[in-house]
Amino acid sequence: MRILFASLLCLFLVLALTTVCMATSEDEVTSKISEANNALREAFKTVLEAEEAGANVSGLVAKLNEAGGFLSEAEMAYRNGDLDKAVSETAKCLTIANGILGDALALKSSALEDAQIMRTHTLLFSFAGAVVSVVGLFLVWVRFKPFYVRKLLKMKPEVASNAKD
Amino acid sequence: MLRIEDYKAIFAAVGLIGVLLSASPSLGLVLHLPSGEKFSELWILGPSRMAEGYPFNVKAEEGYLVYVGVGNHMGSSVFYVVYVKFRNQDEPLPNVTARTPSPLEPLYEYRIFLENGKSWEAPLTFSFSGVSFFENRSLVGIIKINDVTFHVDKLASWNVNGTGYYYQLFIELWIYNVEVEITQFHNRFVGIWLNMTVSL
Repeated sequence: MRILFASLLCLFLVLALTTVCMATSEDEVTSKISEANNALREAFKTVLEAEEAGANVSGLVAKLNEAGGFLSEAEMAYRNGDLDKAVSETAKCLTIANGILGDALALKSSALEDAQIMRTHTLLFSFAGAVVSVVGLFLVWVRFKPFYVRKLLKMKPEVASNAKD
Repeated sequence: MLRIEDYKAIFAAVGLIGVLLSASPSLGLVLHLPSGEKFSELWILGPSRMAEGYPFNVKAEEGYLVYVGVGNHMGSSVFYVVYVKFRNQDEPLPNVTARTPSPLEPLYEYRIFLENGKSWEAPLTFSFSGVSFFENRSLVGIIKINDVTFHVDKLASWNVNGTGYYYQLFIELWIYNVEVEITQFHNRFVGIWLNMTVSL
């Protein structure tokens, strides 16, 4: 009777331990997938900001696709109960996403600097263009005015032939 | 001959036009013209990458191929998620009016990042196994999509009008909304009907 009780107790403990281990493992995978998802979203957001700043983000978008592929594989493996594959794919996604984040931040900062320089140049050229255009026109006017007056003075008054008394 | 005041007005107008032309690049930094219509495309093509030759009469243990595509015309890079779902004719499709996705669990998925004006296309292969027929019903046990196995156990009743056991493989387009930081159903879906037939 004692042996039977001890065996049942052992069995119960093993089952309980297995359940706890599995639950922890599943929780870990869910948490890792969520972490990778957040990292990927954050990386995308930074890439988008770099693009808005005027950077060429084609290379980073290709890397995002690679990371997204790993995350999709991880999600599907998790849904199919393949936790090991889910963990390994999530790790790959996370590594790439973190790399993208760093690259995108650098690209964004350089694009913002370029944009600032470009803006300054544009404003300077616009101002210079406007000044040149006004000054040029003024010079033309200064030369045109005496020419007009001379032409006016050279004109002879006409007498109307059929004028009435 | 024009009067001197007229010439003055002409010079002033030409000067104004010159100033505006010179300042136009700077004005472009401040003024933003309205952009065109923003939209996304979603499509399924047949095995020859044309809108024809779609698989319809399908049977167990045979592979089928279609192509899934997405086009981005949203004005900037976009993060899309494409969910592949499988349903029988009684299960709900997405509701375009209510802008809600199908409540069915996605099987396969693609995460795609697309620059504005670019498109993406990928093959989608699928096959069925564990297919059985009984009492005017068919049961699909397993669907394999791009070599990933999914246990679906999907029943379909005999369709008297169409004379077949109808299933639908459909894809939904979801989009990541950067402002609210969630992935939302983009109100676009497309699918192909499949008639499960007996393997001889």
